[in-house]
Amino acid sequence: MAYSDKVIDHYENPRNVGTLDKSDPNVGTGLVGAPACGDVMRLQLKITDEGVIEDAKFKTFGCGSAIASSSLVTEWVKGKTVDQAMTISNKDVARELALPPVKIHCSVLAEDAIKAAIDDFKKKRQARQEQA
Amino acid sequence: MKCWNCETDTSGSPFCPTCGKIAERPAGTSHFAIFDLPLAYDVDVPALEKQFRELSLRLHPDRFAQAEAKERRLSLEQTTALNEAYKTLREPTRRAFYLLKMYGVDLEREDTGTQKDMPFEFLEEVLDLRESLEDAMAAKDLEQARKMATDVEARRKAALTEAVDMLRSLERSPSDEAAVKKASHALGRVRYFTRFLEQVEAFEEEALS
Repeated sequence: MAYSDKVIDHYENPRNVGTLDKSDPNVGTGLVGAPACGDVMRLQLKITDEGVIEDAKFKTFGCGSAIASSSLVTEWVKGKTVDQAMTISNKDVARELALPPVKIHCSVLAEDAIKAAIDDFKKKRQARQEQA
Repeated sequence: MKCWNCETDTSGSPFCPTCGKIAERPAGTSHFAIFDLPLAYDVDVPALEKQFRELSLRLHPDRFAQAEAKERRLSLEQTTALNEAYKTLREPTRRAFYLLKMYGVDLEREDTGTQKDMPFEFLEEVLDLRESLEDAMAAKDLEQARKMATDVEARRKAALTEAVDMLRSLERSPSDEAAVKKASHALGRVRYFTRFLEQVEAFEEEALS
């Protein structure tokens, strides 16, 4: 099956590949896997105390569509508030990248990764508040 | 299921016991039912192969080339189902994944679920493994990649053994949700390790070509 131009672009020039400091209280880490193929995706978000996403990094071991999906969402979430980022759905990702039905799960993975990262950030913040 | 020709109950056999016509199979007949086997992990593979060959010959579309359209179609349908069932049941890993699906957890499907969600620590470990492999590949260090593969292969085997133990215990108590979850996680590990080993294999091929 042929990849769309947008998938190829993100696959060949992935945006925001890398790592943020996991122990930074303002960094949320989302780690998700696809049981159907055995691939993994890590998405990290640096979020200000006001709840704005100022940086995003990802590392994905998977097919072209999984890499493109995570690359795309790192671009999308930057500058957004946590609440706005939570509304990004896999359908948006799949539409933007013109993913074929067999690759929809890659976009699901990207959506799950955003939610997991924000969830991790919120848990950290709550733990901090409870300590204070 | 009633025979389409003489209306006798065929009770899932490939041919009608009364008129001998090739029979219809109810939709969703399990791979195990095709071979008249109980829903259980342990399968006598040589016996399965023998049964497969016999059934293949009897159901082969060539034998129905002159028959009416309905029989030609059924022969094709049954042959396809038979091949799929044999392919799945003869291979222990495929059989285990299929059996887990019979207990309601389909790891082939993309939706996630509480039964399938792997522990965070495990995913972290997989990511570390894949990163180390990536480093080895970048350094063209085949030796290192092979060393990792040996270790991962041993863990893949251990995970499969654990899954099989759980599947066997489910035969005695099919509604044990905790066992289903354990089997699901163990087979999940098998899947991630297999993926890793495929990557090493691809790297080896590339390095040796």
